[in-house]
Amino acid sequence: MISRFQIAYKNLLRKKMRTLLTLVGIMLSSWVLVSLLGFNRGYENALNRDIDNMGYQLMVMAKGCPYEAATMMLQGGTGLRYIARSMVDSIVDKPEVDRVTPILMQAFFDPNKGDGGGIAGYYGVDPATFPAMKPFLRFRQGGWFRDAQAAEAVMGYEAAELEQREVGDMILVPEKNVQLKVVGILERSGTQDDGTIFCPLKTLQGIAATDKITTIGIKVKKGADSAKLENALYQLPDVQVVSFTQVKQTIMKLIATARVMVLSIAIIALLIAMVGVVNTVLMSVLERMQEIGIMKTMGAMPGDIFRLVWTETLILCTCGGIAGIGLAFAFARLSDLLVRRVLPYAPGGNLVAIDMRLALLTMAVIVGVGLMSGIYPAWRAGRVRPLESIRREG
Amino acid sequence: MLLCLVLAAPVPAAVNCELNNPVNDVTRLFPESTSFKTAYFSFATRGGEPLLRKVESRLGGAPSLYAPLNVPYTLYEIYKGKKQIGYIHGVNQKGQFGVLEVFVSLDMAGTIRAFYIQRMAGQWARKFTSPRFGRQFVGLSIRDFERYDTVGGRGTGRVAAIENPAPEAATDFFGLLRAVKKNLVLMDEFFYSAER
Repeated sequence: MISRFQIAYKNLLRKKMRTLLTLVGIMLSSWVLVSLLGFNRGYENALNRDIDNMGYQLMVMAKGCPYEAATMMLQGGTGLRYIARSMVDSIVDKPEVDRVTPILMQAFFDPNKGDGGGIAGYYGVDPATFPAMKPFLRFRQGGWFRDAQAAEAVMGYEAAELEQREVGDMILVPEKNVQLKVVGILERSGTQDDGTIFCPLKTLQGIAATDKITTIGIKVKKGADSAKLENALYQLPDVQVVSFTQVKQTIMKLIATARVMVLSIAIIALLIAMVGVVNTVLMSVLERMQEIGIMKTMGAMPGDIFRLVWTETLILCTCGGIAGIGLAFAFARLSDLLVRRVLPYAPGGNLVAIDMRLALLTMAVIVGVGLMSGIYPAWRAGRVRPLESIRREG
Repeated sequence: MLLCLVLAAPVPAAVNCELNNPVNDVTRLFPESTSFKTAYFSFATRGGEPLLRKVESRLGGAPSLYAPLNVPYTLYEIYKGKKQIGYIHGVNQKGQFGVLEVFVSLDMAGTIRAFYIQRMAGQWARKFTSPRFGRQFVGLSIRDFERYDTVGGRGTGRVAAIENPAPEAATDFFGLLRAVKKNLVLMDEFFYSAER
């Protein structure tokens, strides 16, 4: 016995080109929809990962204009604003704080770098707290410092490549002419750590002749109220707080406008595809009035005709949806590249994250909206009066 | 925030050796030049692995931090009017405290016209970047360096006579000589041998 699906399938094949064009419309809208949903999720995941990879979500530094400080450093490494090491103690006891690490950033002028000289930047980090803050860093060679006051350095991947350094080689801190032994070279991480030269905090303090620090990195406890902690930190004298959560929110706001526009386009594409579905199925129904009339005279109930026509919609939406989702999977990498070209800031990793769960969700949306679109043509078909339709067609 | 970004911005990877300021540097290294063109070449496009092995063999077979086969080398072709009068080419070489970026300008016969250290770390760098040290390389060619032993640091003739201005920096001195030989061998393999 021939099934309802077989009849619906054959009906769709009667007008192949019309069916194909409708399928293409559904396929494209599914592609756009699943890619957009994948982007929403992928971008947020990637941004969160980037911020987690910073190792800390909050940074405390001395009050002052960062532009001015940057300019001063570029002109010769002077004029940095420092904070006292004791500031760490006043932060670490706060209930929202998970971990704290003190950092000293120093820039030294290297007259032998290029024609007019250049700046070499060093990060003094605490061997007891900094590596634990960044457990995701992997070493290509060697490891962290063995001693809190060792004359040693760990180089980011690109810094080592640029200077052609390997573990065991020496580097020379410009201006101060202090030699440091390279004890570790990091794997490429895709972050700013790649271009950084780390050395023990106390070593760098000794080189720079200061007992102060420039920055405190703070990792907030999971689920803790970051805003409350920020407010508490602002009460500390002469410091400013840079929150990566704020940075993240700012970036998310920046892309929100673009996301709304793309979402609107996706909805419009979906609507156009569904109008196509209505058109295809309705035309098919109108062309088959006589046939539907005959089916009714043979005992088919309005519900049977409704289900038959609705099945055509279901087949169209399912096939188009599967093809669109397949394309989204196949071209996810290309979509990723295109998105990267237009975004003001693109974090590392996959920006368009599509998985089976998302694919099934999109499929449900496409089929759901498609079936709703098919209600009217199916209803029209179901209420055909058999004798009238046979007489009219005759 | 900006401060962090300025300090922590990733530095460009050491993929090849380019002049920092080509317009000024070319004029300084080739005063009679009127224009130059920048060209790129790599082992991947000009002989691949066998050629790389040959170059390494000419350099004494010592292990060195060579760039991968597909990394492009930058070459400056120097013109006076429409006539090409020479080349400027630089290489990276491992030094005692960091990379050495060493350029030579060559006439069309492969003879060194000028020697230029673009980058070198160490308190004695000024002794090596002085004109006096650089002048010792002028007039030398691959023929002079052919018998220079880059591993033992021994040479003959004019190469052997090159004076180290900073005896405490022997590693850098031999690194510079190795850089010049590497530079000349690369130019010989890629251009002068092909033109002969």
